[in-house]
Amino acid sequence: MMVSQSELVREARENGMDLLPLDKDTYELFFGPQHMATENFSIILKMDGHRVVKAIANPGFLHRGFEKLAEYRPWHTNIALLLRICVPEPDVPEAIYSMATEEILGWEIPERAQWIRTTVLEMARVSAYLFWIMGLSFKLGVYTAGQWAAAYRERLMALFEQLTGARVYHIYTIPGGVRRDIPNDRWLRQLKDTVEYIKGKLPDFDHLVFENYITFRRMEGIGVMDKKFALAEGVTGPNIRATGVPYDVRRADPYLLYPELDFEVPVLKDGDALARALVRRYELEQDLYILEQLVEMGPPGGPYKVEDPRLKNLPRFKVPAGDAFAHVESTKGDFGAYVVSDGKNKPYRVQIRGPSIAHGIRVLEQLLVGARIADVPVILMSLDNCPPDIDR
Amino acid sequence: MREQAIVEKILKEAPYAEGKVRRERRVEFTVPAERIKDFLMTLKENSFELMLQITVVDWLKDGEYELVYQMWSITHRTHAMVRTRIPRELDKARMPTVRDIYPAAETYERDAHDFFGVYFEGNEKMEMPWILDDKEQGLFPHRKDFDMLGYVKRKYKILDRFDENKDNYVI
Repeated sequence: MMVSQSELVREARENGMDLLPLDKDTYELFFGPQHMATENFSIILKMDGHRVVKAIANPGFLHRGFEKLAEYRPWHTNIALLLRICVPEPDVPEAIYSMATEEILGWEIPERAQWIRTTVLEMARVSAYLFWIMGLSFKLGVYTAGQWAAAYRERLMALFEQLTGARVYHIYTIPGGVRRDIPNDRWLRQLKDTVEYIKGKLPDFDHLVFENYITFRRMEGIGVMDKKFALAEGVTGPNIRATGVPYDVRRADPYLLYPELDFEVPVLKDGDALARALVRRYELEQDLYILEQLVEMGPPGGPYKVEDPRLKNLPRFKVPAGDAFAHVESTKGDFGAYVVSDGKNKPYRVQIRGPSIAHGIRVLEQLLVGARIADVPVILMSLDNCPPDIDR
Repeated sequence: MREQAIVEKILKEAPYAEGKVRRERRVEFTVPAERIKDFLMTLKENSFELMLQITVVDWLKDGEYELVYQMWSITHRTHAMVRTRIPRELDKARMPTVRDIYPAAETYERDAHDFFGVYFEGNEKMEMPWILDDKEQGLFPHRKDFDMLGYVKRKYKILDRFDENKDNYVI
């Protein structure tokens, strides 16, 4: 049955929906921030029927002013603040802030701390990818896999809790090393078992999500970007690797123990949503492989943080004047921090560069044009947009 | 040394700039504000493909903003900081946009404008709302002389719970 446009508008108004007719066929639709797929982020869509004509990203719902607040707090207190910038993997902001501070101080952190940091970062990557699988499968409508992923992530959360005392926000990596030592050998055995367990479950995910006909039909050929476009827009991480650029910070700018580890950087060429999803799937496998190597290597002996008398009085801990940029590879992309010190016990300026600021605003706006309304959450999820990165 | 060669090559093409090697895979350049477009063009020709961020640092004592363009070269595997200084008075804090060289800069420039009030000439989205609400436009909260505690007290009406004269609160 054909329904005319004016009848639709009338029906929408009667049901309390605020559709704004822009002209005869075009409507403005506020996608988010309440929408499940956008996660505290809003996109203003101009719709022609079920096709997107224009998209305007509208960030700011999560702005908490961390960069400003960090200028009012002592160096070590900022860890408890800045890690909230990236919710799925809070170890990344901790690590970059600590690395930049150590570069200003000229500290070389002990081998044991390096091992622990690398392990924690890789555990964070695995748990963030599992979290992402959960989000993706919910948006595709294959719910079972998502619930499995959330359940397996819980095993890593338990390990984090034993190591750091917290499940989600660990407040663990500090300038100079880490806050606590590994609890016992039992933890290492549990880590080994968990890695083995999740590795054994990967074929199930393949079967349900990544080799599924539904996934291919939903994701193939949507949200396509090419190499040149991705480079110009500053896209990093799995999103740029899905367009054929083998850029991974762990390889390009090695930090911690990564030069000693053996891993591959998966690269695909299609640049569509499916390619981005598959790159993430292959990376999950590589991360588990890295964790296996780390467990086999075993933590080296020695102290777990720098032995420095200044660390005994943290509120008066001072950093000499200077600045440094540090970045690590997160599951979203190149996560960087620029830290400036003027010699006081508080940083002069902290700037966090979240990867989503590149692919979550301009790239998203351009990829959404021409997409169907049902594909909007899928494109968002395939880019792995993380709104707190943008808002900070 | 690989980094030294990169710096020398770029300085040869852009004699108005100063440059040095900070450490392995980290280089640094200082350019005058009016030549920033030429310099970033030179960097792009020398395969610095990615612009990671534009950081503004407010040097209150010097009366200047320092703009740091964080660049990354995938080919050379090197990070470059491009520093430039402009006055921090709001009517004089103006820069040419580099959106036509690195399209990603548009977003970073909007960010810098919202929090510091640096106006990037030629960026069409400068007036578009970014993160801050309408009521907070024009406050430029990341400036060093922004009275954060006073703003918080007024906004959330908690004046009675704080001592106005005490200045070293850690909120």
